Amino acid sequence: MAVFKGFPLNLLFASILLILLLCIQSGGGQKKKENMLAEKVEQMMEWSSRRSVIRMNGDKFRRFVKAPPRNYSVIVMFTALQPQRQCSVCRQANEEYQVLANSWRYSSAFSNKLFFTVVDYDEGADVFQQLNMNSAPTFMHFPAKGKPKRADTFDLQRIGFASEQLAKWIADRTDVQIRVFRPPNYSGTIALALLVSLVGGLLYLRRNNLEFIYNKTGWAMAALCVVFAMTSGQMWNHIRGPPYAHKNPQNGQVSYIHGSSQAQFVAESHIILLLNAAITMGMVLLNEAATSKGDVGKRRIICLVGLGLVVFFFSFLLSIFRSKYHGYPYSFLIK
Amino acid sequence: MAEHHTASDCKHKASSNAGGSVSGNGRHSSPAGCGGSGGGLSGGLTQPAGWQSLLSFTILFLAWLAGFSSRLFAVIRFESIIHEFDPWFNYRSTHHLSTNGFYEFLNWFDERAWYPLGRIVGGTVYPGLMVTAGLIHYILNLLHVTVHIRDVCVFLAPVFSGLTAVSTFLLTRELWNQGAGLLAACFIAIVPGYISRSVAGSFDNEGIAIFALQFTYYLWVKSVKTGSVFWTIGCCLSYFYMVSAWGGYVFIINLIPLHVFVLLLMQRFSRRLYIAYSTFYIVGLVLSMQIPFVGFQPIRTSEHMAAAGVFALLQAYAFLQYLKDRLTRQEFQTLFFLGVSLAAGVVFLTVIYLTYTGEYAKIHIPIIASVSEHQPTTWVSFFFDLHILVCTFPAGLWFCIKNINDERVFVALYAISAVYFAGVMVRLMLTLTPVVCMLSAIAFSSVFEHYLGDDMKRENPPAEDSSDEDDKRNQGNLYDKAGKVRKHVSEQDRPEEGLGPNIKSIVTMLMLMLLMMFAVHCTWVTSNAYSSPSVVLASYNHDGSRNILDDFREAYYWLRQNTDEHARVMSWWDYGYQIAGMANRTTLVDNNTWNNSHIALVGKAMSSNESAAYEIMKSLDVDYVLIIFGGVIGYSGDDINKFLWMVRIAEGEHPKDIRESDYFTPQGEFRVDKAGSPTLLNCLMYKMSYYRFGEMQLDFRTPPGFDRTRNAEIGNKDIRLKHLEEAFTSEHWLVRIYRVKKQENRQALDHKLRNIAAKQKYTSKKVLPSRFH
Repeated sequence: MAVFKGFPLNLLFASILLILLLCIQSGGGQKKKENMLAEKVEQMMEWSSRRSVIRMNGDKFRRFVKAPPRNYSVIVMFTALQPQRQCSVCRQANEEYQVLANSWRYSSAFSNKLFFTVVDYDEGADVFQQLNMNSAPTFMHFPAKGKPKRADTFDLQRIGFASEQLAKWIADRTDVQIRVFRPPNYSGTIALALLVSLVGGLLYLRRNNLEFIYNKTGWAMAALCVVFAMTSGQMWNHIRGPPYAHKNPQNGQVSYIHGSSQAQFVAESHIILLLNAAITMGMVLLNEAATSKGDVGKRRIICLVGLGLVVFFFSFLLSIFRSKYHGYPYSFLIK
Repeated sequence: MAEHHTASDCKHKASSNAGGSVSGNGRHSSPAGCGGSGGGLSGGLTQPAGWQSLLSFTILFLAWLAGFSSRLFAVIRFESIIHEFDPWFNYRSTHHLSTNGFYEFLNWFDERAWYPLGRIVGGTVYPGLMVTAGLIHYILNLLHVTVHIRDVCVFLAPVFSGLTAVSTFLLTRELWNQGAGLLAACFIAIVPGYISRSVAGSFDNEGIAIFALQFTYYLWVKSVKTGSVFWTIGCCLSYFYMVSAWGGYVFIINLIPLHVFVLLLMQRFSRRLYIAYSTFYIVGLVLSMQIPFVGFQPIRTSEHMAAAGVFALLQAYAFLQYLKDRLTRQEFQTLFFLGVSLAAGVVFLTVIYLTYTGEYAKIHIPIIASVSEHQPTTWVSFFFDLHILVCTFPAGLWFCIKNINDERVFVALYAISAVYFAGVMVRLMLTLTPVVCMLSAIAFSSVFEHYLGDDMKRENPPAEDSSDEDDKRNQGNLYDKAGKVRKHVSEQDRPEEGLGPNIKSIVTMLMLMLLMMFAVHCTWVTSNAYSSPSVVLASYNHDGSRNILDDFREAYYWLRQNTDEHARVMSWWDYGYQIAGMANRTTLVDNNTWNNSHIALVGKAMSSNESAAYEIMKSLDVDYVLIIFGGVIGYSGDDINKFLWMVRIAEGEHPKDIRESDYFTPQGEFRVDKAGSPTLLNCLMYKMSYYRFGEMQLDFRTPPGFDRTRNAEIGNKDIRLKHLEEAFTSEHWLVRIYRVKKQENRQALDHKLRNIAAKQKYTSKKVLPSRFH
């Protein structure tokens, strides 16, 4: 009886207990969630203190980037850095990305609100499939709340992957301003110092015989080298980085001369350099032939060779120019 | 007309070329000198010097004439008109100068530019060009030659090209000999690399600056040669003129110290050098600081520091030389080591300081920092602008270095630095051109010298050679005079066997042919590439007849005639100078792009939708908006093609409101047709460009609203403007002007007005005594 009597009470108790338990459980869930989050943040902080860019595989990616309890933004670079993938763009992009991540890592504003991670195709191919991604490198931003939107994928094609552009994009998406700090490039300085010390050492070793400094031919050669390099557009090559030559994919023909007057190939600039040098040499030979002393027959030959160099290579140069500059009416000897 | 002109021009050129090369043979070997210059002359020459100067004078005159006339294509084809954009500002300032006087010009505050900010013109321009043109105009009027200031401006650059030719002649004569000088003058008169900046109507700083550059160099070489203060002061005055004319004076103030420095390294220090450089540096510095725009830059900025450093070094070197005479060897050595270690320590500390204060070169040397922004030069542009000269001038450089002396060190340094800068930036081809002309002339001249004369004459020393035979004997302190005749011992011993007349004439013929091709090339390039005014366009029909498209001026005159005098016209900055110059209306932004945020505001107005743009335009007091639209005639330099720059510049300043990506399709393309992004299709620039364009069918093959520039049917044909109305569209739709409507009156209220009980107004009738006089 008492049992029956007690039932409602029991029920009440049990229900209270249940509610309490639920409360506790949910409270515990909340707590557990917080714990999990704190643990995750701590883990991420630890990794990023070791390396500014955190390497991720599929599991880590799902746990730390995809899984919901998160209060931090994650920038992910999907890439393929393994040498067998032969992705040179990935390597360049990676360098810029490292610069950016280091700037963030060592900046005064560094916090646990933003992490830089990388997923390599060979370590997390499943992630690529999951996100339906078929090109690398790709930069994505996973915001602290919600799903990534269209603008959370960095527009690599149009903006390029310079650190400054990435920083601007990140500032736009997360309100975290990163001032890109590029480590100064010492390689140029070191090379220069090496060269200087080499030259200095050489001079020191040969200090008793410094005749060669007064050698005008050497200086003249050096000056001409600078001039030829510039007039054949090596500086253009250096700044624009054109291909060496163009191979037509249909018939496999290799063209060394660019068809337009606005651009040039590396091979083309080398050809022009040689032509210019040949014409100059022709002029010098013509002069030599007239001023040098010696056998007349020999001098006549030198003279004719010089003349031939000037005339032939100039007409060759003119014909190349003509093929590039459409509508140019003049030619000489060679069409 | 043009054809006829070309032919006559070539004739000039060819004759002057031949003459130049002939007299190149002329100066040195006295009786035989003028030998080759045609049968008539060689016979009874009793006074070769007289003939020689007459010949030189004639050749220089012809070179001047050829240079002047080959720059007139644009005037003959179109009319006497100022070209492009910047010249319009220069013209406007010159006009201001000639009407209001010099002091008014120096203190000119132009309230018609950069509304509402204005621009202090006197302090932000290099006044040399305007003052030169104004002075010529003044003198001509004083002599009662009534010329409009516009004609003075149009023909200033061609006239100065003749002066450039003369100063190039003088410089090359100092470097090599008279023959090379004449050839160089002929080259520079017609070479396209220089013509590109000095055709008639291109009223720009470079036109007179190249003359100042060459003349300064001539006077510098002269003062190093003579060591006289007279020539150096002349050099300083010429330098002052250059500073007043062009920002490129920095090239001079770095090249001359470099020359001095290299001479010191080569142990060619001399009293002459000391006098020349010390005077030049001090007087030149003081003079250059008189230009308001330059001000204190010569003692502040890093571009001028090299000159100061070399000045200090030269003083130290001279002091050491002085001590060397006074002290014993032992004492001197101690002092020398002390001095050297001190100097090394100072340099070391400076370098460390500079590396710690930032990336020195990147920030401070603008020419290096701006590499990425400017076009580097392909070999085609070198060949296009210099033709045969680009292949032959290394030979001249070779001869100069092989026969080195003080002034040839200068030309070698000039060549190497100029060729480097020209390789980095296509614009700087202009500074390379003179040195290329000089060195090529040296190369050609020495060839002609040997091949044009007769064999018999070879008994005379073939070339006057002012190079020092070897450096060791010379030891730097001695200087062998230019003009010393080198002894050709072997040739005097036995008569040399010549190469024979056949070979000589073949060589001469072929060389002359190459030079003729050069002349033809120059004329062709000038006529086809460098002679369009770009204010007036021309199109050619199938039968060769020509259509003149004069839309720009039509529109600007419409503005001038039909709008209020103080109306403010908004346009993209490219057209600011032209609107100010031709329409005489206030502009918001112009080609003097000193205020980026103002430009960005205009860009933002152009790229926002109409109502947002209206707010901006209201805040800027805009009355008219002017745009360039090339869709009807297929003109590719119009505002829609420049539009992305407007967006980008606007985004730089207002990243929250304008985003470049909004103007692209999801595939990342910039399209004006139906697939284009809706932001683009509704922005102000699009609406203004294509307003009522959808009703227009240009061709039976294309649908209405077909844009010929972008080859697309426009995506938004139903354009309605709310705050703007079309005010003017030019004949070929190239320029479209819109009026910004004034704000409407507040709408009439449709409900009954409130009834307010008439209140009695209390106003004081009393007037304060202080305000009532």
